[in-house]
Amino acid sequence: MKLTDREQDGVVVLEPRGKIMGGPDATLLHDKLYEFIQQGRTKVVIDLSRIEWMNSTGLGILIQGYTTLRNSDGQLKLAKVTDKIQSLLTITKLVSVFDAYDTVEDAIASFN
Amino acid sequence: MSAELLRTLCYFLTGGFLIFLAITITRDNFRSRLNRVTGAMLFFAGLGPLFMALGSVLAQSATAPLGFEASPVYKLRHLWEFFFPLLLLFSCLFPFDRLSRAGYRYIRLAIFLPPLMHSVIVLFFDQLSSALDIFHVDPGDEGLSSLVVQPLATLFSWLKLTLNVLRGYERSIFAVISIAYVVAAGYFLETGRKRVTNPKILTQTRWVLTGTRIGLGLYLISQIGWLLFPRQFTEGVTSTLLVIALLAGSGLFIFATIRHQFLDVQMVFRQSFVNTITSALLVGVYIVMVVQSRAIVASMFGVEAELVSYGFIILLLLFFQPINNWVDDLIRSMFMRTRTDHRNVIERFSRQVISLFDPTQLRQTIEETLKTTLLVNRVYFVLYDDSITEYAMLPSDDHPRRVVIDRQDLMLRGINLLDAPTYYRSLTDYSPGSDLATMLETRGVRMVLPMKDADHLLGFVALTEKAAGYRYSSEDLNLLGVLSNQMVSALTNARLYVESLERTRLQEEINMARQIQLDLLPSNPPSIDCSTICARSTPSRTVGGDFYDFIKIDGDRLGVVIADASGKGMPAALMIAQTQAMIRTEVNNGTPIASMLKNVNQQLADATSAEKYVTLFYGELDTRHGTFHYANAGHNYPILARSDGTIELLKTGGPIVGALPHLEYEEDTVILGPDDMLVLFTDGLSEAMNENEVEYGEDRLRQLVCSHRNQDAHEIMETMLKDVRSHDPTSPPRDDTTIVALKMNGIISTHE
Repeated sequence: MKLTDREQDGVVVLEPRGKIMGGPDATLLHDKLYEFIQQGRTKVVIDLSRIEWMNSTGLGILIQGYTTLRNSDGQLKLAKVTDKIQSLLTITKLVSVFDAYDTVEDAIASFN
Repeated sequence: MSAELLRTLCYFLTGGFLIFLAITITRDNFRSRLNRVTGAMLFFAGLGPLFMALGSVLAQSATAPLGFEASPVYKLRHLWEFFFPLLLLFSCLFPFDRLSRAGYRYIRLAIFLPPLMHSVIVLFFDQLSSALDIFHVDPGDEGLSSLVVQPLATLFSWLKLTLNVLRGYERSIFAVISIAYVVAAGYFLETGRKRVTNPKILTQTRWVLTGTRIGLGLYLISQIGWLLFPRQFTEGVTSTLLVIALLAGSGLFIFATIRHQFLDVQMVFRQSFVNTITSALLVGVYIVMVVQSRAIVASMFGVEAELVSYGFIILLLLFFQPINNWVDDLIRSMFMRTRTDHRNVIERFSRQVISLFDPTQLRQTIEETLKTTLLVNRVYFVLYDDSITEYAMLPSDDHPRRVVIDRQDLMLRGINLLDAPTYYRSLTDYSPGSDLATMLETRGVRMVLPMKDADHLLGFVALTEKAAGYRYSSEDLNLLGVLSNQMVSALTNARLYVESLERTRLQEEINMARQIQLDLLPSNPPSIDCSTICARSTPSRTVGGDFYDFIKIDGDRLGVVIADASGKGMPAALMIAQTQAMIRTEVNNGTPIASMLKNVNQQLADATSAEKYVTLFYGELDTRHGTFHYANAGHNYPILARSDGTIELLKTGGPIVGALPHLEYEEDTVILGPDDMLVLFTDGLSEAMNENEVEYGEDRLRQLVCSHRNQDAHEIMETMLKDVRSHDPTSPPRDDTTIVALKMNGIISTHE
């Protein structure tokens, strides 16, 4: 997994690419989020459009990120969720937990 | 062949061998004083027999002038007596150098005076004698000149008298002095021997001492015998004793040098020495045989046949090369194939270390090899310690404490740049401010052997000076280079072995964990009145993160569980063991299904971090009513295939358990009719992927179950596994796969 980030309207937009599979990916995302929290930037959108594949550990990483931000009074929202991830979220019934939006703009707008 | 001729031959041979050995030893390492002294000593020892041979040849020669003993060349024979002061010096240098520190510069020169005087007297007696007559005073001459000349003349006449006495008894006087030298040298050698600790040097000393003892003992017997009983100890007896003394002494010296590396003479020189001697002997024998061929042929056939003797010579020459090779090999196998032969050392060392995996034993072998073959006095190891990720100097006999070396130490960085064995003195640039340099200097380190694995420095071996003051030769450096490469592979092997032991231990633990996990799974599906149940779980690794369970609640009700922990292997296995225990506790407590999932979720969420979760499905079959109460916590929807071909998915429940606290769950009930089929599975089946990264998919699984709904529980399970395997034949599967299949019987007996 590769991870790029940018800031848009006071919201951090993370754009992971490739596969989210655990191991180093978990550390990468966790360290990134910790860094943002340290800087007081706790509104985060993850753009999932470029994720090819995600396994159970990958889902765990997202949940971990969600929990970390929530514990720091922040929020993690998902944008451009692919069909595969959508079905994963549906089966695990995490749809009700994660806020998922069709576009990054919608996700950013939901913070205001 | 007369005894006289044999003796002459022995004189020639020993003289020749000794001088040749002297040249070899001196040439091998001219910078070493021990080599120079030994070389000179053997050279003068060789002069003796050569002159004796010359004397006996001249004495027998009919044409020799009667007074050959007075010829100036023959008078030079007394030069051999320089052997004695050199022997004394040698005994002060081997096996311990007593001279370098002690000084005694003038005494060292003074011990050469007696043989010098002896030679001068013998060589120049007549000239000296006549020179002292210069101041001869005529009886009638008086006056001023006589006042000056008279005392001088008296002095000179006294000197002349002394000279005459010396000349008359020179042999006895210098024999006594030589005996004194021999006794002193013997004393030094014996006391020196007791201080030797290196086993190799001890062997050398033993042979050298035996040679000296025999040689000098026989010499003493002959000389003292001649002094006390001149009549019994005739020229013939003393010279026979001397021949034996020389043969024994020089032979054992040669043996110590060739076989036991005395004076650390290099292999090349020892080899050339052996070669030269064998070929010289062989050629000598051949010449005698060729010269005598006519006589030999005559004695064999009784007649003189010139052509036959030519044929005999040609035959001899044909066999020269094979015989030479054979003798060469024989001598080599007797003398050279020793533990000190570098090829043997390398072969032996690699054979030993390849089977040594204990690092301590390995270091001992390295140390022993260096001490016995290179005669190194002390060996120190500095090795990288994985456990502290630092270099450390290991304890030794004289420095029993382990010392950790700073990573930034200048000397350590300097050694890191080395590729080959290097003299410590060439590393002085790295000494300033280096603790390591101080340590190496106090330990007297002379040589540093870096051990590099690709670019990584595993450590280095530090060697002190060699025993008996021997120096490191270019041959040694080559050997050290090869040995250090072997040490690198041996150390790496040993480390890998320790790691593999660790891995084996871990694997055993995992195997035990697998057994525990297997024991936790129900061994046989329970038999239920109205249905048949089958289940199978295959972990992708030794232990898995899937599980299924059957819990008999009472005579009519059976709890069925299927679950999948996130991740794989040991962490997932620990999660499911915990989950299984929680579910059993809740079921035994009679907790309603939705509350049970809520409790399990809360306990798991409290106990583990957010990314660890379990997808879980729990259902209760009530055979009395044909009902199935269930709740699904984020698990793949179980497939209910009705006998009429419709498919229902059991979705009701809530999110996965263990990830987030404070979640609520719902439960639902379905009625199971005759011949209905319920299949529970984990994502190892639905997400099985072929080589084109195409997933098997839940839709395909549902269709498969639907079209085979008439099969029994066991058959449908096999059908599913077979079909998934045809999509992804990887074995064991990439992900843990688990199936539970429940088939209702044709007739359900209701008790209502």
